[in-house]
Amino acid sequence: MSSPVVAPSRIKSLFGNQQFILLLVLFAMVAFFTWRNPVFFSNAVFGNILADWSPVVLIAVGEFFVIVSGGIDLSVGSTIAISGVVSAFSMRALTANHVGQNMTLFLGLLTCVGIGILVGSINALLITKARIVPFIATLTTMGAGAGMAIVLTGGSQIGDGPAKAISLSVPDFGPLSRPGIVIVFIVAILWVIMGKNRFGRYTYAIGSNSFAARAAGINVNRHLAKVYILSSVLAGLAGFYYYLLLSVGAPTSGQGGELQAIAAVVIGGTALAGGTGKLSGTVLGALILTTVTSGLIMINVAANWKQVVVAILIAVAVLIQEFRSTGGTGSGPIRRLLTRNSK
Amino acid sequence: MASKRNRAASVLAVAAAASLAVVGLATPSHAANKITIAFVMGAESDPFFQAMKVGADAEAKAKGVTIVWQGDPAVYSPATQLPIANKVLALKPQGLVLIPTDPVALQTINDKAIAAGIPVVNVDTHVKDLSKTTSFITGDNADGGAKAADAIATAIGYKAGKTYKVVVGLSSATATTNVARLDGFTAAVAKKYPGIKIVDKAYSQSVPATANTNVNNWLTKYPDLAGIFAIDGTNGAGAAAALQAKGLAGKIALVGYDAYPTVVPLIASGVFTALVAQNPAAEAKLAIDDLVAVINKTAAAKSIQKNVVIPNVLLTKATSAADLAKYTYVAK
Repeated sequence: MSSPVVAPSRIKSLFGNQQFILLLVLFAMVAFFTWRNPVFFSNAVFGNILADWSPVVLIAVGEFFVIVSGGIDLSVGSTIAISGVVSAFSMRALTANHVGQNMTLFLGLLTCVGIGILVGSINALLITKARIVPFIATLTTMGAGAGMAIVLTGGSQIGDGPAKAISLSVPDFGPLSRPGIVIVFIVAILWVIMGKNRFGRYTYAIGSNSFAARAAGINVNRHLAKVYILSSVLAGLAGFYYYLLLSVGAPTSGQGGELQAIAAVVIGGTALAGGTGKLSGTVLGALILTTVTSGLIMINVAANWKQVVVAILIAVAVLIQEFRSTGGTGSGPIRRLLTRNSK
Repeated sequence: MASKRNRAASVLAVAAAASLAVVGLATPSHAANKITIAFVMGAESDPFFQAMKVGADAEAKAKGVTIVWQGDPAVYSPATQLPIANKVLALKPQGLVLIPTDPVALQTINDKAIAAGIPVVNVDTHVKDLSKTTSFITGDNADGGAKAADAIATAIGYKAGKTYKVVVGLSSATATTNVARLDGFTAAVAKKYPGIKIVDKAYSQSVPATANTNVNNWLTKYPDLAGIFAIDGTNGAGAAAALQAKGLAGKIALVGYDAYPTVVPLIASGVFTALVAQNPAAEAKLAIDDLVAVINKTAAAKSIQKNVVIPNVLLTKATSAADLAKYTYVAK
């Protein structure tokens, strides 16, 4: 007699699983776009999608760590811009001085990571020492970073770097490029860290209750500093990826990146209130976002509809979360967004 | 002790952030006997205005004029331009070059300056009522669009009776320059090259990576694509990268806009079929000349042309190195 009871509950739990729903959404999208234009189901299109996904997943995963810790990072888009242009300036200078291409690219990569560490450290100081709420702290670095990128470049794209940069962004592992493979590897490591490692446990603990985490002996400020630096470093890597993609550093690269990152995290089922969420959801959220972009172009829907589709996806994802976290009472976690980590 | 150290660290952090944030309204000091001309332009981040500034600086030096150059760092909007224009007028320049971001919103400032005895020249865009302004100098974007159509038709070896698929990458659906270029392009195609079909358009919001995504998807969607019209610099960069990465450079006609130093060399390497270049430096030079003539009440003031259109120029492989150098925008 027990089996008829077990089966519906298992189905129920499956549909309560955000990752499962996300996979269904993704498959439904692929099926729909393929139905409307069979060319969609091709290595070339998957290559385009993964090329877009690679930088987005980097900043989304960084944002995921920050949001789980109970904060928010609005500076990731600007970090892409500033790291991209500073690295482009340095690679242009190195190329002019006849430094080898591989060495130039390596130093360019280090520059991006260095800028990431710098921005992340400023965020961390503002949040943990100056006690500014993350929303405002990262809003400052967001504005400052975007402004600096324009001041430094005068709005121009910075080119004349190593010629082979662009060839690296070509997919040569199925639909993935070499930098794409590296990014998958980075995300896999972070997935392990989040799920199995003390770093992940601390992040969840601080996000769900920073007082309790402090009482339990966690150095909350030090951990938050690491989280914000991680987010900015990943944004710096995304900045380097965009350089490879375009072979120029553009001051407008990464514009709106913070919104893409937050959208991917939210669609991925992570509550903005912090303390919960799965990294795999964010990875799928980023994939859904970039699939929408390519899909709409392939089926002749005006690109501006993308924003509408993404908005609907976010609304649905948040509704599911609110329903799951409150049992439908609607006393959602969103209002806590602006007051977090201020204690 | 610890809290003191915390306080010091926070002050340092705030200072670091603030120093990053300073994009100030610095005004150059100027000698009393020198003419000061203020430029209030659209958005400092736009290389078009950077190139204009190069022209303005050169002419200012030649004429012994001091330039006050102001505009929002990034946002092309009357909401940000109005307060800047007001501050600049408070400095009492002898002449004003206004690049209005909105024809109606900037009319008051335009007229206020003239009422205060400051002659005004409009450049690139203009206020609604130009009756009291000294002159209006602009480039011809519609003509640039038409030239782009000619360049694509030539590159694909256009023959009547055949059809060719062409896509257009834009930055925004509303920016006046984008609209004028697209209109000029579409009109020329309809009139002279009916076989060219504009099969797709997309917007990049001035982000080259977005333009790159658009072109990558178009290349997959239309394996027989004949040409791309990249309507501005960000679209040009995105399209050029996509064609190079897919090994299609030179196989698909790519016509871009604006002669940025990063893209001009790509004409010789065949990635760009042609670039439509504007001459913002010439616009600035003429604006300064007009104002100096009015301020000094010279004979030239009487023969100022009220409306000047500086034509766009098509840069191709056939363009001489000297001309390429002349039209290439100066950038950092």
